[in-house]
Amino acid sequence: MYGWTGNILRVNLSAKTFKKETYSQEFAEKWVGGRGFAAKILYDEVKPGTDPFGPDNKFIVALGPIAGIPAPNTGKAVVAAKSPLTGFYGDGNLGTRVSEHLRKAGYDALIVEGKAARPTMLSIEDDKVEFVPAEAVWGKGTYAVNDWIYGRYGKGVGVLNIGQGGENLCRYAVVRSLEGRAGGRPGIGAVMGSKLLKAIVVKGTRTILQADPQAMKILGPGDLKKVGQIDKQTGWSIQSTTGVLSWCNEVAGLPVRNFRKTHHPDAWKIDGERLNNARVATYGCPNCTMRCGITIHDHEGRESELDYENIGLLGANLEIFDLPQVGSLNYLCDDYGLDTMSAGCVLSFYADAIDHGATSGDFAFGDAERAKTLLRAAALREGKLGHLLADGSLRMAREFGHGSEAYAMQVKGLECAAYNCKFIPGQALAFGVAAIGAHHREAWIITFELKHTTRESYGPEKAAKVIELQRIRGGMFEFMVACRFPWIELGWGLDNYPKYFNTVTGLNWSLDDMWRTADRIYSMIKLNYLREFPDVTRKADYPPAVWFDPSNADREGPIAGLVLEADKYDGLLQHYYDQRGYDRRGIPTKTTLKKLGLEEEAAAAEKYGKLEP
Amino acid sequence: MKIRVKLIGPLMYEAGFSEKEIDLPTAATVESLLELIPLSKQRPKIITRNGKAVAPREPLEEGDKVAISPIYSGG
Repeated sequence: MYGWTGNILRVNLSAKTFKKETYSQEFAEKWVGGRGFAAKILYDEVKPGTDPFGPDNKFIVALGPIAGIPAPNTGKAVVAAKSPLTGFYGDGNLGTRVSEHLRKAGYDALIVEGKAARPTMLSIEDDKVEFVPAEAVWGKGTYAVNDWIYGRYGKGVGVLNIGQGGENLCRYAVVRSLEGRAGGRPGIGAVMGSKLLKAIVVKGTRTILQADPQAMKILGPGDLKKVGQIDKQTGWSIQSTTGVLSWCNEVAGLPVRNFRKTHHPDAWKIDGERLNNARVATYGCPNCTMRCGITIHDHEGRESELDYENIGLLGANLEIFDLPQVGSLNYLCDDYGLDTMSAGCVLSFYADAIDHGATSGDFAFGDAERAKTLLRAAALREGKLGHLLADGSLRMAREFGHGSEAYAMQVKGLECAAYNCKFIPGQALAFGVAAIGAHHREAWIITFELKHTTRESYGPEKAAKVIELQRIRGGMFEFMVACRFPWIELGWGLDNYPKYFNTVTGLNWSLDDMWRTADRIYSMIKLNYLREFPDVTRKADYPPAVWFDPSNADREGPIAGLVLEADKYDGLLQHYYDQRGYDRRGIPTKTTLKKLGLEEEAAAAEKYGKLEP
Repeated sequence: MKIRVKLIGPLMYEAGFSEKEIDLPTAATVESLLELIPLSKQRPKIITRNGKAVAPREPLEEGDKVAISPIYSGG
């Protein structure tokens, strides 16, 4: 076996045991790695109905065959578990040196099960695994944990850790690494916290066995250099993702005031130009030559690294148009280990619910200082309000009632990314059918909708585009475990990725093989959903109801008077199902599952929920 | 007629401005506006007029705002 190590490290925190397990070439070629490994392992090992915070849930770190090998942009890892936010499979990816170190220690994945008796840091150094007491940093933020780990092991090691949000089981707590990287939006950090697992440190010293290491040694670093040159030529990383804010503001796609508005005259105050002007440092992931993390001094003078989602959801969506203050909210989320996107949506929902009389409280849009105290309350679960905020917008809405669920900006419990789809049907679909809830990671088709079709269309071309991007973004990049930015932002050819894969593994895959694997993984996650929610209907793939509400239409601007139309959205959803081979509930049919080689998994699902022929 | 032009992301560094008013003859089109802005023709762009997608030969009107952006991917 080349490329893959063929090994998984299984650790049981309750028993303080560990073992190296092997997997077959067949398993490797069927699931490849990252999201593929995680989805399959969780399906096989975590029974439906398992308490996400219980010892039977499993926390997984999964890598792909090119992860950690110098090439564009492979310094990432997938973290996954049954989500405490959404109740089914959840995952995320983040830049981390774990990608290289875990593979050099001899493993492609780590499965953590059970629950530690005391706060613990897992230390992995090649074959050695230690359960290190972590009381010294329990209750500390992620920056302090990083410093503590670097002080003991040096800066070059791979680290994953959580902040107070994960410890206190905030349902949108993330896993953090490298002081600025975060992953696992659907509460994967809280699953670590539920196991009293404060951190993981990994040091690997072996060589990753590759089919043609000499060729890869030339190909990977050479391509990294080329990607860096394209970035310089195009100037992409001057503003990196944050340039999107101005564009969304122009085309009425920016979330403002809990997505009630789509643009704002003060948006320029927090845009990419202002951010770049305020830049004090730039950070990136390992194996990256287009570093996207723009760091500024926040209101309190700390370094805070921002991207578009941060300024969109902690800035515009809260009507906080003060860049240092947005930096402060972002810093607090990063230090507490909270997902900035869900945190922004949770606070905006709270302000909106107060505005609409669904609850009473002391918070209003634009109040940055109060927002800081609310983030703390959520991370520490301080008082009744802290518990409410820590549970996410859907649970809050169910508690508040008064129809507030309509404007809880989430799908399947996961809060929306910073794109206001009040009248962007295709992107609303992309949120609706994203594998884990309303995430932009898997498909973003807004420019396609404006440039290559029409914004008004609910036609099959939009469903096809969502599927195309899911296969690439939510599929290939997530199971190979590489960053999509060289391709999606700089036009780095997709055909490079089978080339890396084949050079490392010795196989002869085409992009079509990648798409088939991607489809298999999407179906796997759908079966996971069906087992957890056997009464599923297509409504689970609907975006927030407020986007269909005519009274919520813009009064001026490019989409004045327009909102999504429910019957047309339903038609678009059906196009997606038809093209995917899913039934009317959005579940793969038996025929589709058979085509993807998922007969065994289908049989396992049928014990819990019905499958259509 | 006066047209407000906004350049987004890296385009503002390429052309040397982020937003300004440009004087154009009546019935000028998006295409003729682009001739006046030093941007690479090869680079794919998305152009909007008052927030709506616009075709290259569409005539502009006094007071229009034209935004020119690279094709973002949503991160």
